Amino acid sequence: MNSVEAVAINAAAFVITLALFGIYVATLGHNPLDVYYVLWLGSFARQISIESTLTNAAPLMLTALCTAIPARAGLLVIGGEGALVVGGVATVLAGMLVAGAPFLVGVTFMSLAGALAGGLWIAFAGALRQYRGVNETISTLLLNYIAIAVMYHLITGPMRDWERVLKTSSWSIPDALRVGALPVIDVHWGLAAGIVVCLILYVVMRRTTFGFGVDVLGGNPRAAQMAGLPINRMVLICCFMGGAAAGLAGAFEVTAVHGFASESLVVGFGYAGILVAFLSRQNPAAIIFLAIILGGVAASGGLLQRRFDLPDATTQVLQGLLFMIVLASNAAYGRLNVFQPAAWRTA
Amino acid sequence: MNMVSQLAVEAPPSVSIKGLTKRFGALTALDDVAMEIRPGAFHALLGENGAGKSTLVKCLMGTYRADAGHVLIDGQEASIASPRDAQRLGLGMVYQHFTLVSSMTVAENLVQGEAGLGAIIDWPARRERLTAFMADMPFRLELDRQVSTLSAGEKQKLEILKQLHLGSRFLVLDEPTSVLTPDEADQILGLMHQLTDAGRISVVLISHKLREVEAYADEVTVLRQGRLAGRGQVGSLDRSDMVRMMVGEDQLAASAPRVTHDAGEALLSVRGLSVEDDKGVPAVRDLTLDVRSGEIVGIAGVSGNGQTEFVEVLAGQRAETGGHIEAGGRRYGKTRAEMRALGIKLLPEAPLDNACVRGMSVAENLSLRTYDTEPMARGGIWLNRAEMRKRAAGLIARFHIKTQGPDAAIETLSGGNVQRTVLARELSEKARILIVQNPCFGLDLKAVAEIRRQIVDARNEGTAVLLISEDLDEILELADRILVMSDGRIVYETPRSEADLQEIGHHMAHHEE
Amino acid sequence: MEGTELGWWGVLIAVIGGAIRVSTPYLFVSLGETLTEKSGRVNLGLEGVLVMGAMSGYATAVLTGQPWLGVLVAGCAGALLSLVHALVCSLPRVNDIAVGIALFIFGTGLAFFLGKPFINPSAPRLPDLDLGWWSDSPHIQSALQISPLFLFGFALALFLAWALKNTRWGLVLRTVGDSSEAAQALGYNITLVRIAGTVAGGFLAGVGGSYLSLYFPGTWNEGLSSGQGLMAVALVIFARWDPVRCFYASLLFGGATALGPALQSAGVTANYYLYGAAPYFLTLAVLIYSASPRKALEGAPGEVSISR
Repeated sequence: MNSVEAVAINAAAFVITLALFGIYVATLGHNPLDVYYVLWLGSFARQISIESTLTNAAPLMLTALCTAIPARAGLLVIGGEGALVVGGVATVLAGMLVAGAPFLVGVTFMSLAGALAGGLWIAFAGALRQYRGVNETISTLLLNYIAIAVMYHLITGPMRDWERVLKTSSWSIPDALRVGALPVIDVHWGLAAGIVVCLILYVVMRRTTFGFGVDVLGGNPRAAQMAGLPINRMVLICCFMGGAAAGLAGAFEVTAVHGFASESLVVGFGYAGILVAFLSRQNPAAIIFLAIILGGVAASGGLLQRRFDLPDATTQVLQGLLFMIVLASNAAYGRLNVFQPAAWRTA
Repeated sequence: MNMVSQLAVEAPPSVSIKGLTKRFGALTALDDVAMEIRPGAFHALLGENGAGKSTLVKCLMGTYRADAGHVLIDGQEASIASPRDAQRLGLGMVYQHFTLVSSMTVAENLVQGEAGLGAIIDWPARRERLTAFMADMPFRLELDRQVSTLSAGEKQKLEILKQLHLGSRFLVLDEPTSVLTPDEADQILGLMHQLTDAGRISVVLISHKLREVEAYADEVTVLRQGRLAGRGQVGSLDRSDMVRMMVGEDQLAASAPRVTHDAGEALLSVRGLSVEDDKGVPAVRDLTLDVRSGEIVGIAGVSGNGQTEFVEVLAGQRAETGGHIEAGGRRYGKTRAEMRALGIKLLPEAPLDNACVRGMSVAENLSLRTYDTEPMARGGIWLNRAEMRKRAAGLIARFHIKTQGPDAAIETLSGGNVQRTVLARELSEKARILIVQNPCFGLDLKAVAEIRRQIVDARNEGTAVLLISEDLDEILELADRILVMSDGRIVYETPRSEADLQEIGHHMAHHEE
Repeated sequence: MEGTELGWWGVLIAVIGGAIRVSTPYLFVSLGETLTEKSGRVNLGLEGVLVMGAMSGYATAVLTGQPWLGVLVAGCAGALLSLVHALVCSLPRVNDIAVGIALFIFGTGLAFFLGKPFINPSAPRLPDLDLGWWSDSPHIQSALQISPLFLFGFALALFLAWALKNTRWGLVLRTVGDSSEAAQALGYNITLVRIAGTVAGGFLAGVGGSYLSLYFPGTWNEGLSSGQGLMAVALVIFARWDPVRCFYASLLFGGATALGPALQSAGVTANYYLYGAAPYFLTLAVLIYSASPRKALEGAPGEVSISR
């Protein structure tokens, strides 16, 4: 399974998805080429669209890790949405606690709180699987619903900011602790955090003995047991790291984007992150690029909807279609002779 | 034995196979093979593992499509595209027990695939017929028992009953005795022989056990490396003729010289071990044994008597429910640190599934025990893949592993070479305790001799070896002490010098009575 | 508890009535998933199928004025969407659970996408059966207003339990789901049987969706289903792949879902969202209870990957 092959197959999946979407739009009486142009316009054509793309990409990088890291250990975790929400709520609570603290201390504390909450949230699912045999895919999906319900409970009652009338939300974190934009480009610091975390995890997974052990475990748990690897601990660490990444995404959504927890945290970053993780084939470095591409799709969604009078769900349909095609394209791996070293398989 | 009368009056077909060829990619598994089975014959198909026996019968049964050649049934050319076609022609195959549905009852399994089974099953009428059918069988099974509760021998019997019930007049038995005790094997093959003598069915027995072939078969066809190596009447061939047909003129490596010495201290001790299987049923019951330095302890037994679960516990792949294991005099917790300090090595059965990572390369698989030590890891943290490959290249040469190179995926290797890879990994450092299960299953005779030699060498150098095998001959050849495992317990023990095949076989069958 | 003359009894009756009213989608989805899993595949995307069924059923009823036609169309839409799952999973090296997640995202997205024009118009509802005529209590009367679909689902559970044991199709389905080797030896077309199992399961889930939009709560909007399709998949594990137990489990889950609204109608409005999350907590608790770290799940088809 080499990376040239992966890139080629992924690119083909993108092209097929866009072609199918173009055909659909053509049946509505629009010129498909206009659609592709608008996609380009809304995602990468101008500085403002690039900024919007990157702002969307930042949380996607982190939620993608929530699926990708446990997947390397053989778990199919889809709890990024819930971990992000939990992380966001924890960030607000932490922000209340450190009001008045110096900026760096306060922001670090809030980020760590968000990461810790998200990490523990997914590690709980990991523990349920290791110690009770509960299927982690179902449990993390349920935990998404639970996290959202708990957040609604908190922002409509115990943590509600009654001053804000137009929107139900939690208290706001102190203004002094709000995180601003990166230098040069108007994108918040969450992007830098996402890229750095992806790179660090890439190094951990590819270059360290821990990463090798995780790959053994993900490749064959029985071989890992035979080698005496501490499997439960490894699974919990992977789940924690993935959940912490998603929790960090929630922390930045609060500290850099909204300033409070509200339904704006539940916009599908977690689900889009699953798609990014699958596209990247669980490679944390590849996640950076694929998150930017999918961030572009999300960024151009609004423009696309307005220009062609399409419903809000357009982006979700595109994502779902792409996901399905990418999974189907798994069947193509190893089939394309171009990518096979000559006469590799003998018997 | 009036089951003979129960079978339909229709005579078994004459089957002749001509010029059959089957290729898998570059490999020619069957090359222009011919075979002739007259009605009512008990015909043995003999050959080493990998000689093409299974491929041949799978082509006959419609599981595979042959690339060339044809099959004549009663002189008519037959096109057999699926197992269903084969069934229609009265050809049936008895697998070891892979075709039973374990969540279903005996009755449901027997009714499956019956021709003319209506959309709605009339159970009262079906049961009546099944009861009558069972009553005439020399071995009986309760219709309402769930297959998952049957023993291996019972499952084998059910497979045969199923084929007879479906009206097959031509039965292929695929190594039927490997999951049976010697007594059960004699019982089942004896019954089959009565049926062929009466001219009611034809039997093709696939085997590599010459004893069985000599005792039961009338005719024999021998395959070697996908080609017809010989055939004839069993009565007119002697054992050496058949061996020569099977293995060719090549000389096999002589069995390893065994150093005579007294066994040392006990390195591996199992104390009152109890284990449950996946369904929560006790698989190993209160098992106690010692393996001392410099001896091979062989555990014989019919498969499915708790051996696999026992090995899984030793490998850390399953938790014990009672008792404990001691290694090097201390309680063994199956951690990596203990494995390394005590030199505990393992060669489990089906090594590709139990001891290798399919997606990884040969080099990576060779490093599973050592990747976190110098020089392959700097400071125990940073991987050095160049060192990994270098070390792998050395092991590949030393253990004669046939591979494209250290970077080839482990999946691309043949079964024997996967076995060698795992053995190379486990024996590359000093092994003080070596646990081996069915090490030679599915290998050709040359690889078998080589692997057995490695095991004996380890024993000669003082390693404590625990050998768990379903192959009694292997145990008799290698073990210093022989234990028999039945129904999760050790039921018999004998030193090598006093080992008696009949006695061991009797104890293997212990729980069946 | 002022404002309710029955107090806690009122809550109990409302929960029971709610259980009957809310359980139907659980029942249809879990029966559908049972069929699919009996064939050896897991379809985690039935949430998407459910929502798609709800939308297409509602749209049909709006356009034709025929709610029963809506039910049929919902089933067909569900079958069609599941066919996508079935076909993609028939390709080599494709993980059915991942495809289920994709179908979940795709199906809900597609339903919202196509269903946008139908949020405002109102559709004719499916009729009621009044089984509470014998009682004077309006609470009991309203609790026993039952949809024919509920009774149909009950009958279907009994029928499926019978059919899995007593028809050739039942045996074929169970064989394919339990051991592909056995199925192969018998000459069954494994892929085809699994496609059929998945499509049939999708049909039932689609019908379950139409119940949501055409009977209770009887509207179409984007918040119509909140994970019932997913919970029904977990419920199958709890019911150990037995259709009749699916029926009981659905009632239990329906009761848990009805708890929040029942308490609210009794005047308990605090913690509304937490009570609303009761079914999720119940599902998680039930999963923890059903699972075991050592044993395989009891009753699980051998080829199903969710049980390992």
